[in-house]
Amino acid sequence: MSEVVVECTGLTRTYDQDSVPVYALRGVDVSIMQGDFVSLSGPSGSGKSTLLNIIGGLDRPDSGEVVVSGTRLGTLSESALAELRLHKIGFVFQAFNLIPVLSAQENVEFILQLQGVASAPRRARSTAVLDSLGLSQMSHRRPGELSGGQQQRVAIARAIVTNPALLLADEPTANIDSATTEELLLLLQKLNREQGMTIVTATHDPMVMGYTTRKIKLHDGMIEEDETAVVV
Amino acid sequence: MPPAANTIIVEDTAAKLSFEYRGMVWRIAWRNLWRSPRRTWLTAASIAFACLLVSVGMAMQAGSYKAMIETATGFYTGQAQINHQSFVEDERLEHTIPDATALMRALDRVSNLFAAPRAQGFALVSVGDRSFGGLVVGVDFDKEQQVVTFFNNLTSGTLPKGVDEVVIGETMARNLGAGVGSELVLLGAAKQGGVAALALTISGLFSSGQSELDRTLLFTHLEAVQNGFSLGDEIHTIAIRVADLTLLEKQISQLQTILPDDVIARSWRELMPQVTQGIELDRISAKLMYGAILILVSFSVINTFLMVVFERTREFGMLLAIGMRPGLIIRQVLAEALFVWGVGVAVGLLLVVLLVSYFSSAGISIEGMEELARQFYMPDRIYPAITLQSLVVAPGVLLVGTQIAAFVASWRIRNLQPVAALRVD
Repeated sequence: MSEVVVECTGLTRTYDQDSVPVYALRGVDVSIMQGDFVSLSGPSGSGKSTLLNIIGGLDRPDSGEVVVSGTRLGTLSESALAELRLHKIGFVFQAFNLIPVLSAQENVEFILQLQGVASAPRRARSTAVLDSLGLSQMSHRRPGELSGGQQQRVAIARAIVTNPALLLADEPTANIDSATTEELLLLLQKLNREQGMTIVTATHDPMVMGYTTRKIKLHDGMIEEDETAVVV
Repeated sequence: MPPAANTIIVEDTAAKLSFEYRGMVWRIAWRNLWRSPRRTWLTAASIAFACLLVSVGMAMQAGSYKAMIETATGFYTGQAQINHQSFVEDERLEHTIPDATALMRALDRVSNLFAAPRAQGFALVSVGDRSFGGLVVGVDFDKEQQVVTFFNNLTSGTLPKGVDEVVIGETMARNLGAGVGSELVLLGAAKQGGVAALALTISGLFSSGQSELDRTLLFTHLEAVQNGFSLGDEIHTIAIRVADLTLLEKQISQLQTILPDDVIARSWRELMPQVTQGIELDRISAKLMYGAILILVSFSVINTFLMVVFERTREFGMLLAIGMRPGLIIRQVLAEALFVWGVGVAVGLLLVVLLVSYFSSAGISIEGMEELARQFYMPDRIYPAITLQSLVVAPGVLLVGTQIAAFVASWRIRNLQPVAALRVD
């Protein structure tokens, strides 16, 4: 039986917008199992990014509880949350967000350096990950010398090089063309299928949803649909 | 089934940051500088300019103070003087240093030290029916010229050769209606209460540039004054010059051990407090000016790093999101500030060394201000001097200033929320 990686219970989150409360999440309960490839979809303002941020420890709920890989996030300090993000969660952002002054390989190694991994294993792991993503020829190029798709692949390499328990991706294909989108989705699918990596992605893109094994649709801060499908 | 919701203790990686990571901080910081080369060069230029202004200013001060002290002490007073304690308190004829010949012999044996004995007395100076009061000073002209430059100011005639010759100021000569070759009669009170009477021929006239001296001083041979004023082997003053002014205080302490009781040696600091005060006053006003320059530059650095932090908010948000601590990001910004400082100070000091090296040999003319300069014992050319202080103070203060500026500018990173930061365009 699969292990639960994320357990959310009764999550609520309200923002103040010009002194008007905006209900981003209204009592969300969801469990994500080891090996799930989940898409969080819904219209703008439905709460998908808020849910993703709360699962990733980037934001805190007003009420409710989040447990990631056995760790109750509500009880963690800011620095303990940072440690958890560093060790257990990989992030892929819509705008790639690579460090522009570092090469592809240095970007991937950077997070290992933050973890305190020594030089030789760090180099070996980053090289292996870049090879597996077909980036070995571009490892010395800086982000400015890479296409959008290549940059996003480097971002994925950075996110997975630490072997995180959970990979969170916020609109990862929003800034790339459809051909590259497909390549990236195949890559994520491969990571999910071959390495059993748990992936949660917030998206508007039906193509992305087509690759995920579980589709959670949010509307007005609540889960409207939660559908598990088998992708052939 | 929900997992066991125990709170695990996450290991603190910040505490075991690898040596390689520290190397990466420096590498990223250096590369970040060149993301906006124009801004980096502008900030470095302002640091270089401040460094240049302050360091050259301090080199000028060092050079001008040295010149001021040398000019002031070398003119007539000497770098130090030896007197009887009572003469210091009251310059009376009878307050003399005894056994002058033996003391001078002892002083002549001290290496790197030049000593010139002086005896003096007030007298009524007359030529024909004109009379004026004056101070006649008996000196050893050869020794005087090793200690002071006063006798370079002869405008006509020569220094006295015979014991019956005298040089006087041009103003006194004019007042007396005398000139070179005229005979002066000096009448005063001798030490034993008798009359001091001297008849001297003017061998030369001087113009020191200080009207009071030109109006009142007469110089003749030491023996003439000692005989005329019944001083025997006694003198009033020994003017001192040492080869290295920086060792003066040490040499004065050593001199004190060979001086008779109640005879003291004093440096120019005590003899000419106006010079010390003038230097102190100049130092204070210079410090205020340097402080203002350095504060202004620090503000420009704050401005630069505020822009850096605002422009890179999104990047910092990403770094926070992936688990980097705010303190590490601030450390990286401080490393960038250190590099900007390094570039600015390197350029600034290079210019300082080039400029000061050139002007320390060519000098800086203060043409048109000679009269004013003379009043402040300044020469008409200033030769800046590189000192350790002039090379270290400005870079040191700028280092602290740029680090504080970068720290202040990056303080907001501590409170940056990754989600909000990632949304910044």
